[in-house]
Amino acid sequence: MALRSDYEHGRADSYRVATVIATDDDNRTADGQYKSRRKMPAKVNKKENLDDLKQELDIDFHKISPEELYQRFQTHPENGLSHAKAKENLERDGPNALTPPKQTPEWVKFCKNLFGGFAMLLWIGAILCFVAYSIQASTSEEPADDNLYLGIVLSAVVIVTGIFSYYQESKSSKIMESFKNMVPQFATVIREGEKLTLRAEDLVLGDVVEVKFGDRIPADIRIIEARNFKVDNSSLTGESEPQSRGAEFTHENPLETKNLAFFSTNAVEGTAKGVVISCGDHTVMGRIAGLASGLDTGETPIAKEIHHFIHLITGVAVFLGVTFFVIAFILGYHWLDAVIFLIGIIVANVPEGLLATVTVCLTLTAKRMASKNCLVKNLEAVETLGSTSTICSDKTGTLTQNRMTVAHMWFDNQIIEADTTEDQSGVQYDRTSPGFKALSRIATLCNRAEFKGGQDGVPILKKEVSGDASEAALLKCMELALGDVMNIRKRNKKIAEVPFNSTNKYQVSIHETEDTNDPRYLLVMKGAPERILERCSTIFINGKEKVLDEEMKEAFNNAYMELGGLGERVLGFCDFMLPSDKYPNGFKFNTDDINFPIDNLRFVGLMSMIDPPRAAVPDAVAKCRSAGIKVIMVTGDHPITAKAIAKSVGIISEGNETVEDIAQRLNIPVSEVNPREAKAAVVHGAELRDVSSDQLDEILRYHTEIVFARTSPQQKLIIVEGCQRMGAIVAVTGDGVNDSPALKKADIGVAMGIAGSDVSKQAADMILLDDNFASIVTGVEEGRLIFDNLKKSIAYTLTSNIPEISPFLAFILCDIPLPLGTVTILCIDLGTDMVPAISLAYEHAEADIMKRPPRDPFNDKLVNSRLISMAYGQIGMIQAAAGFFVYFVIMAENGFLPKKLFGIRKMWDSKAVNDLTDSYGQEWTYRDRKTLEYTCHTAFFISIVVVQWADLIICKTRRNSIFQQGMRNWALNFGLVFETVLAAFLSYCPGMEKGLRMYPLKLVWWFPAIPFALAIFIYDETRRFYLRRNPGGWLEQETYY
Amino acid sequence: MSKNNGKGAKGEFEFPQPAKKQTFSEMIYNPQEGTFFGRTGKSWSQLLLFYTIFYIVLAALFTICMQGLLSTISDTEPKWKLQDSLIGTNPGLGFRPLSEQTERGSVIAFDGKKPAESDYWIELIDDFLRDYNHTEGRDMKHCGFGQVLEPTDVCVVNTDLFGGCSKANNYGYKTNQPCIFLKLNKIFGWIPEVYDKEEKDMPDDLKKVINETKTEERQQVWVSCNGHLGKDKENFQNIRYFPSQGFPSYYYPFLNQPGYLSPLVAVQFNSPPKGQMLDVECRAWAKNIQYSGSVRDRKGSVTFQILLD
Repeated sequence: MALRSDYEHGRADSYRVATVIATDDDNRTADGQYKSRRKMPAKVNKKENLDDLKQELDIDFHKISPEELYQRFQTHPENGLSHAKAKENLERDGPNALTPPKQTPEWVKFCKNLFGGFAMLLWIGAILCFVAYSIQASTSEEPADDNLYLGIVLSAVVIVTGIFSYYQESKSSKIMESFKNMVPQFATVIREGEKLTLRAEDLVLGDVVEVKFGDRIPADIRIIEARNFKVDNSSLTGESEPQSRGAEFTHENPLETKNLAFFSTNAVEGTAKGVVISCGDHTVMGRIAGLASGLDTGETPIAKEIHHFIHLITGVAVFLGVTFFVIAFILGYHWLDAVIFLIGIIVANVPEGLLATVTVCLTLTAKRMASKNCLVKNLEAVETLGSTSTICSDKTGTLTQNRMTVAHMWFDNQIIEADTTEDQSGVQYDRTSPGFKALSRIATLCNRAEFKGGQDGVPILKKEVSGDASEAALLKCMELALGDVMNIRKRNKKIAEVPFNSTNKYQVSIHETEDTNDPRYLLVMKGAPERILERCSTIFINGKEKVLDEEMKEAFNNAYMELGGLGERVLGFCDFMLPSDKYPNGFKFNTDDINFPIDNLRFVGLMSMIDPPRAAVPDAVAKCRSAGIKVIMVTGDHPITAKAIAKSVGIISEGNETVEDIAQRLNIPVSEVNPREAKAAVVHGAELRDVSSDQLDEILRYHTEIVFARTSPQQKLIIVEGCQRMGAIVAVTGDGVNDSPALKKADIGVAMGIAGSDVSKQAADMILLDDNFASIVTGVEEGRLIFDNLKKSIAYTLTSNIPEISPFLAFILCDIPLPLGTVTILCIDLGTDMVPAISLAYEHAEADIMKRPPRDPFNDKLVNSRLISMAYGQIGMIQAAAGFFVYFVIMAENGFLPKKLFGIRKMWDSKAVNDLTDSYGQEWTYRDRKTLEYTCHTAFFISIVVVQWADLIICKTRRNSIFQQGMRNWALNFGLVFETVLAAFLSYCPGMEKGLRMYPLKLVWWFPAIPFALAIFIYDETRRFYLRRNPGGWLEQETYY
Repeated sequence: MSKNNGKGAKGEFEFPQPAKKQTFSEMIYNPQEGTFFGRTGKSWSQLLLFYTIFYIVLAALFTICMQGLLSTISDTEPKWKLQDSLIGTNPGLGFRPLSEQTERGSVIAFDGKKPAESDYWIELIDDFLRDYNHTEGRDMKHCGFGQVLEPTDVCVVNTDLFGGCSKANNYGYKTNQPCIFLKLNKIFGWIPEVYDKEEKDMPDDLKKVINETKTEERQQVWVSCNGHLGKDKENFQNIRYFPSQGFPSYYYPFLNQPGYLSPLVAVQFNSPPKGQMLDVECRAWAKNIQYSGSVRDRKGSVTFQILLD
């Protein structure tokens, strides 16, 4: 039996198992469930599985009585499972751990790099070369080796680039692995009545576990006993607020009910005992992770662009090839020769160096982004942010600092703003007024939170605190305002305390005061403001105690409403000096049966807390806006808080109203407002549940500023899908496990490097190492820049294709000796052109790329017909003319005048002809004229280098003049020097004539190409001048790429 | 902040949509928009006009450059000569008859008994020698050793001295004793530095010929033919050279004189083997002719094959 289940586990993907058990849980009673699971056929349709996972969780463990629960798992609340039963369960279900998201085997990743997209084009080219070579080898005795070499070089290029990009990817995923190193986690389990500490992995269903504050919940548990137990569900729901948990069943929804605690969430307070109801992949978190790993992600935008490019290039290549195949046939070539020509032309169209260029450009950008805290996992994702038109951002941790901070205080009948910035650069307030002193004394004393040890150097706001988030916020606020809080507490010794509970909603403590002359005890209380107010009869204002009359209550209410409306959590504070006659020194305060007054106290003030936005976020959101990117907030938090944060960071901009705002302003019911009038919208997850996809589309289309609150992981996914359905390229940011399905589904998922969960990092394509939303703006900028620069780089690289192909065409059509050979073509594509093409990746932007809308993925292509027309039809042609001119110069100066060359090809290439006559009657041996031919190849090559100088300079800009752009790109300047030096080296280095058949040139043979280089420069400067002068004109429509 | 940028508040978040898919016939001709291959007639003609002007300008630039080039080039002598030119200073050898069908390579295959086959080669030689036989109206000199010549003088090549390789004898092709005519490649301004004594590595028959030649007549670029890579020695016992076994030096230098004719050496193979490819390598001997017999880097020599069926 064990064998069998192991087998099934080994085979099943994580999400599959998760689904199977989930469906079984739904309808079955205890006894049958696992037996039938094993009988379930293993091959369940993947799609069905995913759909299943997209459903909300539906279990009944929280509804049944504890007795039924124990019976179902054959466990006991005191004694736990027997060892035998635990062992059996472990063998049956496997360890209690998340199956890591389905890893693609390394060799598959490698093959993807080796055969994906562009590489395939080169492979086909290489295969064609080998085909051509084998045709030649089988038909002639001394086949030319060119095709063989070309095939080998092409294969080598693909393999080297493949290995390079594989290395790049594995390097970034290794960084992932270092993130993945999880702290080993232990759990306290009761088995056979004994308390054991086990590795969390060894937990099984039915185990009774004990959890105390600071622990991570080791599995999904049903709580059977709890003492002040609070959990932080933020990794699961995104809600940062700790929630109390107990044994009572309070809600149908398993995520809301109080008697369940979930795997991987943190216990922040109290202790609890519970029964494990699901383990590992079957847990709520496991299901989400399974959903994330099961989703298919589409092609990245840049991959689509490269495919489009390949289509274009292949189209041109095949068109040229077939045309010349037909022409060669008409000219009377043997069909085998015509086939060789066909292959030759197709292969000549393949830009050998471009794959490497694109890969290196992306890598360079990835590195640059990594240095700006955007770690890119997948090279192609580098560009995706640049194409992004919608960002769905999680709130907690991404937009906000993810720590409660005191934002406002109300005392002396006025609202005081506290400083919420990360570096305390905000406004300061008066800390000397008696109102503040009284309030701060309560906040300091009536507070159980404490700083954790060993954090001496850490700024106060960044220190870790044990205890409730609100109390921590108060503690930090007081530490900032008063200094050493612990010392103050020591001086005001706590005598008694009633901790906060959900029924009375307040917390009371009694202290000795530091004033040794005053024997009275101080009672301090904080809690829900309305409850606190109820218990007060006076109010402390401007140092005087006043009767709490209707007017004051009104003032209180206004302040409370105002702070609540800001999405802040408000606490009320009051105190009372216990009269020393009734409560003398040494009085025994009884906290269970309260023997001291908790009514008619003195109201002091309110303090409100919020998780404040990060300082850089509003600016980043504004930048996204001006870059035409729609920013949507998707959060698990409450609508009011979400809306407040959205307003403060600019996701809902000033003056824009939601339907509710309009209704309130016009004083009409919400249903009467035309939703189209409201630009902003706050959508509650509960509403979203009943919304059809059409309605969701409408929401996304008609509101420019949207906040989705209280969303479940599944709904986040639906929102992303909705945006994508409308044609948007969607970026999703998130940190929690709950975000991971959306992260995966998004065109680019952005996870948080510091606060992010492992699952979210796995699902994402990019990681913000500093957790800062503002880094996304950098990503967008870099992505847009690399897209522009890739265009330039490709335009540059493609241009030299024409001077490379045209010699071969002239060779076929005009029967002239070949002006440019395969080896020299490779020297250009893989030698001199490489560094300049890559250097274009360093080109800075021509205009503010963050001021224009995102690129239109359907019409604004990486490579379009205009680019091809420019590169091939215009600049390339000038380059070809330069090459041919140099060719004719060398031929003529050595004796072969141009008209002599036409029709000479057969004699020229015949080894039998050892005395070919030139225009001056000289007779050339085969060897001598081949030397002449190879010298022409070298000169043609050099002339391409010369005209590529001009091409490189004109490719720096697409619209601006070079005089506006300048020559400050030093990588590019280096590229210019590099290609020249390399060309000179290839020509003049001794031994090159043997190795590469490159011959030294006379210095004067460098010059004939210069007029053509100038022509390129002047032509394109002129073209761009008219482009700038007539925006949208004919020239722009036809030549602006 | 967001309201007034981009395309205005309304269009700001209009997401682009994919273009409607076209059918194949619509791609070629779309009657709604009047487009052929995605462009209207007007658009096509504008593009055509643009490219026409562009290429006319480019062609003009190219023509100007070519004119500039041609103006620096003389009609009579190459711009770069000898070691400045890629032709260098090391003439090779040429041979005739050479088939115009380059795919036949350098194989001379025939059967003397079959007139069609031998006539093919005879005609090729006739064509080749036409210039040599019809020298009427040309200012040519009968040159000899020791004569003082002007650089512009053109010397006669006397075809009557070819002996067994004469036209009358059908150059030996009808009798299976084929003649091959060798010539030294013309290089503008090249003057031979002849060997007037035998050299160590010369074949014995050449040594013998040199020693038998009068000293003043030793001003020749000597020629020797042998089996390629020293094979088939026995087949080269019986070959003869007309009019002598070398090119007399008074033919040089070649300065592209009008009517200049290369001196010839006719090599007759009196008993080539039948049905077997005879691989012949002929080389020229002079102090300033380097020799290399390698296939890829052949210098100062030529190879051809005789195949008698």
